[in-house]
Amino acid sequence: MQLASKTYDANDISAVQELYHSSGWTDGLPIVPPTAEAVQACLEWAMMSPDQLIGIEPVRGLAITAEKLAINAVMAGCLPMHFPVVVTAWMAMMQDEFLMHGATASTGGCAVLVVLNGPIRLELGANGTFNALGNSDRATAVIGRAVRLCLINLMDVRPGVIDRSTLGHPGKYSYCLAEDEEDSSWLPLHEQRGVERAASAVTVMAAGAPRQLMNEWTTKPEEILETFAAEMRANLRHYSIHPGNYAIVVPKQLREHLQAGGWTKTKIAEFIHERARIHRREWAEVGKGAVVRDRGDSVYPAMESPDQLLVIAAGGPAGGFGAVIPPWLGNKSHAVTLPLGVCIDCEPPKS
Amino acid sequence: MTFRVLDPTTEKAPPAGKLAPRLDTLEGKTIGFISNGKEGTKGFFRHLDQMLREEYGVAKVVSRTKSNYSAPADKHIVDEIKSWDAMVSGLGD
Repeated sequence: MQLASKTYDANDISAVQELYHSSGWTDGLPIVPPTAEAVQACLEWAMMSPDQLIGIEPVRGLAITAEKLAINAVMAGCLPMHFPVVVTAWMAMMQDEFLMHGATASTGGCAVLVVLNGPIRLELGANGTFNALGNSDRATAVIGRAVRLCLINLMDVRPGVIDRSTLGHPGKYSYCLAEDEEDSSWLPLHEQRGVERAASAVTVMAAGAPRQLMNEWTTKPEEILETFAAEMRANLRHYSIHPGNYAIVVPKQLREHLQAGGWTKTKIAEFIHERARIHRREWAEVGKGAVVRDRGDSVYPAMESPDQLLVIAAGGPAGGFGAVIPPWLGNKSHAVTLPLGVCIDCEPPKS
Repeated sequence: MTFRVLDPTTEKAPPAGKLAPRLDTLEGKTIGFISNGKEGTKGFFRHLDQMLREEYGVAKVVSRTKSNYSAPADKHIVDEIKSWDAMVSGLGD
């Protein structure tokens, strides 16, 4: 397998690190040296040729090839088995409705949330329980980091260059989680979004930082969900009124109360859609009176329809916590779910 | 131990656009504005419009606003550009 990328020789591991940091090719953390052998192993695992075109970035016409994704995936710490997930995440990000340039360049400073579903989670050891939104496991850590390194190196999404984020958030290092499908009676996210349950899938969403909430003082589903809706109303008041894809992450303790009451993801989304909305006049209470104008009675829902809410089962077994993950900027970017490619009785590319 | 490592960037510059010929004068010309539609663009383009007409003798100013300030300009706006002598694109954060 012949790779096309320019090569550099470095005397030792420290020299590799300095070369990559000084060239602006990292996120500030050490990288794994992307040798030809490591990159070829990723491509072979995914049965992709180096020049396979993943897509053309629509704003500046940049060609994204499998070889370049693999180099960045290796740098992030990916093993070959992680690489197909990175490729699928990038294919999803390059769909028009994701609006990749806007979502990654905006002053709004969102990150790309990556949600894993299906058997691939178990194959990779991706953990959807303890510390699900943090450093929960190796797979989600390196996949999320690979998505960011690819943005940095393939699209110049560097702070102050294409990335114009005012603040950004810690998810811009890595923002990937796996749904806890085994410990939930709910439909997995990918199935709810049109992918067969038996398939593996990746969902990407241009997402703000998680807003953690807590309600350990009730078992009533309506009261639990009211806390989620209130957190979304807070986001509508303090951040942006634009409706779009919100995600909520529901760990086991709260999930059990909801499931015991027969609340499906659809029913949850319908309830929250009704409750997560504000009047424009409420902005005057949070210092934004100047933009209320004569439209104080207008109502702004967090989602245009219930199906814009992504309900994700994840989190450790104890604790009445949950999280609301708001969109970058309403409907400007839409969440995209794609199944992982599967190959039945096919041949790897000729080297 | 020495390492031979690979360049992680695209290595190729994106396809470059070509600058339109520079104008000798603005007098009698048609100038297009493409605004991203944010609040800060309004005063800026209003002032620029007045300045171009009154101080530089511009014949016509055509103002267009993108439908989505985070996305490239709409096709119908891009198609219109060739009927202008020059254009100004503005951010309004």
